[in-house]
Amino acid sequence: MLKCGDMLVSRWLRLRSLCNRVCPHTRREERKGLLWRRTLIGHQFTGTLASSRPCHSDVGDLYQNECIQRYLQQLMQEYRYICQRLELPHISEADRRALIKKHTELLPLADVFTDIEEALKDQQEVSSLLLGSVGAKDEDKQLTELLKEEEAQISCKVLTLRKNLVKALVPIDPLDSSNVLLEVMAGRTTGGDICQQFTREMFDMYRGYAWFKNWDFEVYNYTPAEYGGLHHAAVRIAGIDVYKHLKHEGGTHRVQRIPEVGLSSRMQRIHTGTMTVIVLPQPVELDLHIDPKDLRIDTFRSRGAGGQSVNTTDSAVRVVHLPTGTVAECQQSRSQLQNRDTAMRMLRARLYQSMMGEEIKHRQTVRKQQVGERSQSDRIRTYNFSQDRVTDHRTGHVARDIKEFMRGGGALDNLISDVLENEEKQALLELVENRGNGRDLTNPD
Amino acid sequence: MWRRSLSAGCRCFGFGSIGAKRRGQFHSLHTCSPPALPVGRITALQALEFWKKHFEESGVTEPDLSSHYIVAHSLGGKTIESLEQRKLTEFLSREKTEQIWKLCTKRLSRMPVQYVIQEWDFRDLTLTMRPPVFIPRPETEELVELVLTDLKNKPSSGDTVQTCLEVGCGSGAVSLSLLSSCPQLQVVALDRSQEAVELTKENASRLKLQDRIQIHHLDFMTEADEACSRCSPVSVLVSNPPYLFSDDVKTLEPEILRFEDPFALDGGSDGLTVIKQILTVAPKILSDRGGIYLEVDPRHPPLIQQWVEANVAELRYVETRPDINSRPRFCVLQKKQRELDVK
Repeated sequence: MLKCGDMLVSRWLRLRSLCNRVCPHTRREERKGLLWRRTLIGHQFTGTLASSRPCHSDVGDLYQNECIQRYLQQLMQEYRYICQRLELPHISEADRRALIKKHTELLPLADVFTDIEEALKDQQEVSSLLLGSVGAKDEDKQLTELLKEEEAQISCKVLTLRKNLVKALVPIDPLDSSNVLLEVMAGRTTGGDICQQFTREMFDMYRGYAWFKNWDFEVYNYTPAEYGGLHHAAVRIAGIDVYKHLKHEGGTHRVQRIPEVGLSSRMQRIHTGTMTVIVLPQPVELDLHIDPKDLRIDTFRSRGAGGQSVNTTDSAVRVVHLPTGTVAECQQSRSQLQNRDTAMRMLRARLYQSMMGEEIKHRQTVRKQQVGERSQSDRIRTYNFSQDRVTDHRTGHVARDIKEFMRGGGALDNLISDVLENEEKQALLELVENRGNGRDLTNPD
Repeated sequence: MWRRSLSAGCRCFGFGSIGAKRRGQFHSLHTCSPPALPVGRITALQALEFWKKHFEESGVTEPDLSSHYIVAHSLGGKTIESLEQRKLTEFLSREKTEQIWKLCTKRLSRMPVQYVIQEWDFRDLTLTMRPPVFIPRPETEELVELVLTDLKNKPSSGDTVQTCLEVGCGSGAVSLSLLSSCPQLQVVALDRSQEAVELTKENASRLKLQDRIQIHHLDFMTEADEACSRCSPVSVLVSNPPYLFSDDVKTLEPEILRFEDPFALDGGSDGLTVIKQILTVAPKILSDRGGIYLEVDPRHPPLIQQWVEANVAELRYVETRPDINSRPRFCVLQKKQRELDVK
């Protein structure tokens, strides 16, 4: 008497041998109404994708995209071509080096590709077995269940591999791991202080987010407005991947509410206001050389000799970079020296941004051409307190419980992840569309 | 005991609330009673606005900043911005309101903010402040920077323990900043004022630096020998000595005249009395190639250079450094390497 497991195994082997006879009957399967799609490498897989986890739209989903498919094809063609060339006997050292370099670049991609092919083969086997077992007897039901499980697992694996493939294509922003200088600025309205109140709340939100992400939050400059609002502020946020998470926060944020405090609260109408967020990556100190002679430092300056003859609590410092006119000021600390050091750090960040500005401008221009004009004044997100929701206009992501959202915790993090994924998608599509335009792939250089 | 100068040109306010010690000390030319406590409850922001206006109307200097720092301190913060929105917009308790009123009233008498809230920041340290001990000026933060730069560049730094002498330590700002930034440093600090010695000890304890500092109650003008015996050769002598010209002292603003120790300010008719004493005695205290770092009046550097070259052969004038306002503010000198006697 065979043990249960052995019994299953022997049945499995029997069914496998059945499989080779079942496979050619693809027409029958099609007529059964199952959905089949051709993949890049000519394999077939079922349309009833068994996903064991909920997918929210991310870069990986771009796999289906035609441009992406074409791009992947191009890359694999390139890879195969390189492999062929490397086999040839007569090849110059320079050429060999170039080819090997490209080969190394593409190898990870090629490996994932191979993994996918293998997985699809396995999946096809299992699928065939399953189809063969349709209308099976009771004792085969258990095996059918096992097969179904296995198919689900392989499907999931294939999905993941494909997502990884696409993710590997996304251009990496070298600035992603940088710390940032984040600035908030109240917008202008015709009356009332809704903008300043909102700016203060946004400042608090980002402070909360920094705490949530375990980042360092150092206030460089803080210029309050009346009635507890905020005119503008500058903060240095340091930690892991800060720029990556905050880079898409830059832009105009809009608020809609019936104000509770301040001048506007007297009139119970829905008010609209805006504020602007600017996010600058903060460079490593060494990258930028500033000649002290190029700086003018403004501080409280008494009429007389200063020093012992004056008592003051005015420790504000403003630093002006004369050649570029870049300014940074700080009055955060009661110590003048600390304020000067902070102002210098802010200045460096701004100068760095100017330096990088050209490159960033170019990237933005290219993007605009692809995606379409979106001017600075267009708001990226609306915070509607009256209707208790936050809407990001780039992704359409809507968050409820605005009070919770403004604490800068998980709700904001989710939205930011969403925006990031969306922007990654855009960046990748942009890349493949550019590549698709007139690049000769038979001649890698 | 420090003298309170009451020149005829000085406007005085008489307030009952300041304390028995002061009653009868001031005759009021313009009696203004301090503003009464508000009837209803108010928020911190409202208190801020109220006192800013009141300081302005009363001729108090830096009205905005005064109000800002006092209210923030009452609510437990260094600055208004560091406080939560909630704290600024909610109603203050009666006690809190009374406290703010009490402190701001002190400021009405032109007491410096640093004495009102009894603390201030110097570089990265927070120090207790108390009248009449001299309040550190922003320029002096730069003096510490100069010393630190040179200490770090010295070839011997890192292995050996270096000793520094501060003449006129006041609240301890310079000494404690140096100690805080240089774990290898030991400091001997002197001051002619008992109150200054007490305050420096207090600040040293609070900052847990008391183990590396010795503080002596000595007048460098009359007890220089005693001072020398208290410290073996030091590699650094640093001082922010009284350097104001006696004539200029008379024109100082009330914040300084009424509350700070005149002995911390008055450097004689040319402002150089204490400076010259320090430079004369320095060669006895310094090791070879030891450095001297002085904060001075902007008119002093060329005078000091001339004087040293003519009178103190053992010292070499190294350079003059400017402060953040580009005024010549710091003199750096060095004890010459002694030539070996060849007999």
